[in-house]
Amino acid sequence: MNKLLVLLLILAFPPGGWAQDAAGDAEAGDLQPDMTTTAEDDAFLFEDEDILEVWDPIEPVNRVFFWVNDKLYFYLLKPVARGYRWAVPEPWRVGVKNFFSNLAAPVRIINAGLQGKFGDAGNEITRFAVNTTIGIGGFFDTAKDHFELRMKDEDTGQTMGHYGVGPGPYLVLPILGPSNLRDGVGMFVDNRMNLLYYISEGRTYYGLRVYDKINDLSLDKDTYEGIKKDALDPYLFVRDAFMQYRQNKIEN
Amino acid sequence: MLKQLQGILIFIAMLATAPAIADSSPTDDVRTSVEAVIALLKDDQLDRDTRRDRMREVIDKRFDFRAMSQRTLATNWKKATDAEKQRFTELFAELIQNSYVSKIESYTNETVQYPGEKQKGRKAEVETRIITSSAEIPVNYKVYLKDGTWLVYDVIIEGVSLISNYRSSYQEIVKRDGFDGLLAQMEEKIRELKSAPAETG
Repeated sequence: MNKLLVLLLILAFPPGGWAQDAAGDAEAGDLQPDMTTTAEDDAFLFEDEDILEVWDPIEPVNRVFFWVNDKLYFYLLKPVARGYRWAVPEPWRVGVKNFFSNLAAPVRIINAGLQGKFGDAGNEITRFAVNTTIGIGGFFDTAKDHFELRMKDEDTGQTMGHYGVGPGPYLVLPILGPSNLRDGVGMFVDNRMNLLYYISEGRTYYGLRVYDKINDLSLDKDTYEGIKKDALDPYLFVRDAFMQYRQNKIEN
Repeated sequence: MLKQLQGILIFIAMLATAPAIADSSPTDDVRTSVEAVIALLKDDQLDRDTRRDRMREVIDKRFDFRAMSQRTLATNWKKATDAEKQRFTELFAELIQNSYVSKIESYTNETVQYPGEKQKGRKAEVETRIITSSAEIPVNYKVYLKDGTWLVYDVIIEGVSLISNYRSSYQEIVKRDGFDGLLAQMEEKIRELKSAPAETG
């Protein structure tokens, strides 16, 4: 099938035609007489190029908090997560992750509904019902493992983005990490939709949220360490990755 | 009549050469490379350096670093001299290989699925999914057909394009420190990566 398609394409666009097409898009005056395709000729590769402009008006302040979070990560959160990973077997930690994720189901249900994605909302309702009952309080993701119902992440920030609200200025929040004005506000609203907020209060509530974060970190494969090691400027790398990540979530 | 005959002859010639132009699907090509890398990861006969070298060879064949460099630099590419382009491509290839290899090394026991591909002319996007115990990570490879094989020109992990990410960071660095500054920082980073002790776990 694919061979046929390629063949048809080749017939429709003889090899020489590509170079001309591509060059025509870029610089019309710069036609090469020979037919060799160098990377430069393949201008068609860049059609989907859109540079994500990040508005970062308080960059100096953000960099300070980025530095604070960095230290917090390496000297507190990560050592704790490492000790916890050593002490607690992985299946338990995966269960804990599922449990917290299940408590956040209303966030996904409400926001899928608000965006008119009723199929996704229904899917999340089913997942919540299955996982809370058969999955023993959400500890097991039975819906995914046995019924092929995958989680679809939706939140208030995405809902706002869906209706055209821009990200606003990029923000690095203390402890919470990369965000922006829209998603920061969204996160605040999300927390109020999370069942965790209604089954615990005060210190217990914040304690559980920290536990959730440590548990997540214990399952992470040193993502941040990798960024620190590879990136020329980790601040920029994290900022741009975060903005792209959110934009992609809004579009899906 | 002669025209028609010519057309038919060209058609036949095309038929004969077509398999040489593209004899595998985008997914086939990506899968071959991914599986070669996984096989190397699972081969405990190899020491760490040999394994890394072999992985780099596999990656080198599949990734078009010049196209990636061009995409990353965008407008700065057009301004650069041939020597600068060459230098950047070499450094960038080394950085990408390094980060790709070290990332993939932490996924030894996971499986990779190939849920599908989207093809549009000479461009395609191959979807893969890395299944870990706690998550499923979508990793998509953007490929284009060049000289009969599909070459990777971008990797999209959880919706984040590797190239776009480098592009905006590098653009800022060029704005701040100039093109020479960028090259110097890349060289420095590579030195750093090479001298770093081998970490475990």
